[in-house]
Amino acid sequence: MPDKIPKRTILVAEDDPISSRILEKKLKGWGFEILLAKDGRGAWEALQRPDVRLALLDWMMPEADGPEICRRIRETKKANYTYILLLTARDQSQDIIAGLQAGADDYMIKPVNFLELKARLQTGQRIIDLEDKLLLTQAQLTELATKDGLTKLWNRTFIIKFLDEELIRARRTSSPLSLIMLDLDYFKKINDERGHQAGDKVLMRIAEILTQGVRPYDKIGRYGGDELMIVLPNCDRGSVCLIAERLRRVCAAEQIRANGKAIKVTFSAGCVSSGHLVRPTGDRMIQAGDKALYRSKAAGRNRVSSFPIQKTRARKRTT
Amino acid sequence: MTADGGIPMNKAEALDRVDGDETFLQELLNLYAAEYAEKTVAMENAIRAADFRAVRELGHALKGSSANLSLPRLQDAAFDMETAGLEKNIDGAREALIRFRHEYRRLKDYLETP
Repeated sequence: MPDKIPKRTILVAEDDPISSRILEKKLKGWGFEILLAKDGRGAWEALQRPDVRLALLDWMMPEADGPEICRRIRETKKANYTYILLLTARDQSQDIIAGLQAGADDYMIKPVNFLELKARLQTGQRIIDLEDKLLLTQAQLTELATKDGLTKLWNRTFIIKFLDEELIRARRTSSPLSLIMLDLDYFKKINDERGHQAGDKVLMRIAEILTQGVRPYDKIGRYGGDELMIVLPNCDRGSVCLIAERLRRVCAAEQIRANGKAIKVTFSAGCVSSGHLVRPTGDRMIQAGDKALYRSKAAGRNRVSSFPIQKTRARKRTT
Repeated sequence: MTADGGIPMNKAEALDRVDGDETFLQELLNLYAAEYAEKTVAMENAIRAADFRAVRELGHALKGSSANLSLPRLQDAAFDMETAGLEKNIDGAREALIRFRHEYRRLKDYLETP
């Protein structure tokens, strides 16, 4: 058994000052950070802290007893699991069953045998470590399933789903939703002349610039090879055109270094707002955004157009 | 159960519990003295008011503290107070409190004896 348990915060909820003091000293010696509570209310408050993943709860406490706290913590949707060990003078099997059924992971009869307590806390620690590993793997899998590996933008599946969900929300709250479809100008030429690694660098840098230039609740996705999509909740047509134009100017002013050379890159964009479609759906928004984007391409690239197409809107912007 | 006889404290066991730290054991005994003073007065009041729930809870708490310090006779008397509370036996509670106080005096004598 290792001499020290890796540092963790542990809640000790115990109204008996002697028991509490002994536990505090022992647990500190084993490397724990201690949080003390003298009653059920204090225990409940301490358990709201996300770093409290281990708890020693006395069965009998004022305000709320150990099993009651167990029940409550299991009913709440705390993000991470809390391993709970009940301390009790009750050694009847019906008491033990009641404690475990209330949600305790383990129990110990008082006065506590400390070697046993240490071993049991190590079991708790292992379960928490296992959960942490699972959550990390889950987060990594979610990242893989929803993000584009190169640009770290949202992938096509996710961004389309987000657009659909936000359209439903926009309809419910009677708020506008906008979309920018954008496509890098002459990107194939960059790949052909400078190589695919240079093309990748350009995409990554453009993704960074866009990410820094939108609001925190906007989402950017990689729709195709060099085609990107920005979904902007609660944003009307006037605002989306201003945002797209600002992003266009920032990107056009950037010198992206790849293979020791500076590359200037621009994009063409098409904007659409849900208020300008009769029955907006995700597909219709994308179609309309594409139309506006092709208008920008046809008019000479490096510009922003909006749907519905108005000839005066597709003006060339100079950088 | 007789009031006298038997060692009031299993000191070796108590010291083992605190890894042989005499100073820490003394700190715990001081805490116990404070607990004793507060809870025996509360127990007296609970018996006077025939508050059996309080009798049971105070008995339970004193039983736990006594067990932690390896005080078997005090633990027994506290257990009897808890049981009296459960059984709503006022005479039993009164008798157990008298015995608890007697055992505490014996503990003090034991600790003060060089």
